[in-house]
Amino acid sequence: MKYARVYFDEVKVGDELPPLVKGPIQQIQLTRYAGASGDFNPIHQDDEFARAAGMGGVFAHGMLSMGFVGQAVTDWSGAGTVRKLGVRFAALVRLKDVVTCRGRVVGKSSKDDAHLVELEVWAENQRAEKIVTGRATVALPSRT
Amino acid sequence: MTIQINKALLGKEYPPYAVTVERGKIKEFARAIGNDDPLYLDDRVGAASAWGDVIAPPTFSITFRDEAADTAAFLKELGTDISRILHGEQEFEIFRPLQPGQTYLCRAKIVDIYEKTGRSGPMAFVVRETSIADGSNEIVATMRGVTVVRL
Repeated sequence: MKYARVYFDEVKVGDELPPLVKGPIQQIQLTRYAGASGDFNPIHQDDEFARAAGMGGVFAHGMLSMGFVGQAVTDWSGAGTVRKLGVRFAALVRLKDVVTCRGRVVGKSSKDDAHLVELEVWAENQRAEKIVTGRATVALPSRT
Repeated sequence: MTIQINKALLGKEYPPYAVTVERGKIKEFARAIGNDDPLYLDDRVGAASAWGDVIAPPTFSITFRDEAADTAAFLKELGTDISRILHGEQEFEIFRPLQPGQTYLCRAKIVDIYEKTGRSGPMAFVVRETSIADGSNEIVATMRGVTVVRL
């Protein structure tokens, strides 16, 4: 399904996105994300700092997990289709965690030339605990 | 020891700042996520697409920072520091994908500040909205972030 074109007409409420599995999360990925995003908060890099801050050690940028969720959506709907992506960061992602992103179609609507699909999206860790929950809206092409 | 958040920041609008998107930054950002979509990475695929060039992933505008602003100074003005903050929520609305070579003007505003007591104690929530306009002053995206401060 990756990079295949999905059409509005063929999408049904209840359809599920192919799960996207990321990880195990390694320190080097957090360092790389810090460089790419400009978020150099030491809480994601320096275990001693994170412990002293009462966080029990280093954890991943929430925005990295949101990036994973965005990828799960666009692997299915296509790059450039996202109109809205909103999440709540529900739990911390730790080193060695495996993050699985999922999504489900919860609504469809057409207005003028825009054909919109509403998705419930979330990501969970290897213990099936939700680390991110949210919603996305994508604009899809129509065959008609 | 609990701290006090400076609620006087509610409604504050920050000076607009311009960001020019570099081609290499889009690719670096996509790769850091582990996203190898050719519409982000391959200039030829971008050129052949409806957008005429590569585009940025949906969360890319989180990299837009005011070079003149100091995060530490902002947190100090808020009454906290970097060891106490967490990212609570984030939302992007995208009317048109961001593209390399374009200069965007960002306007940020503190739209809400509230306090709640959660499982891990008292927390303040600071909500900031940023609009992103293109060269013809058309808003192409907005972002809304909630910063959680452990009090």
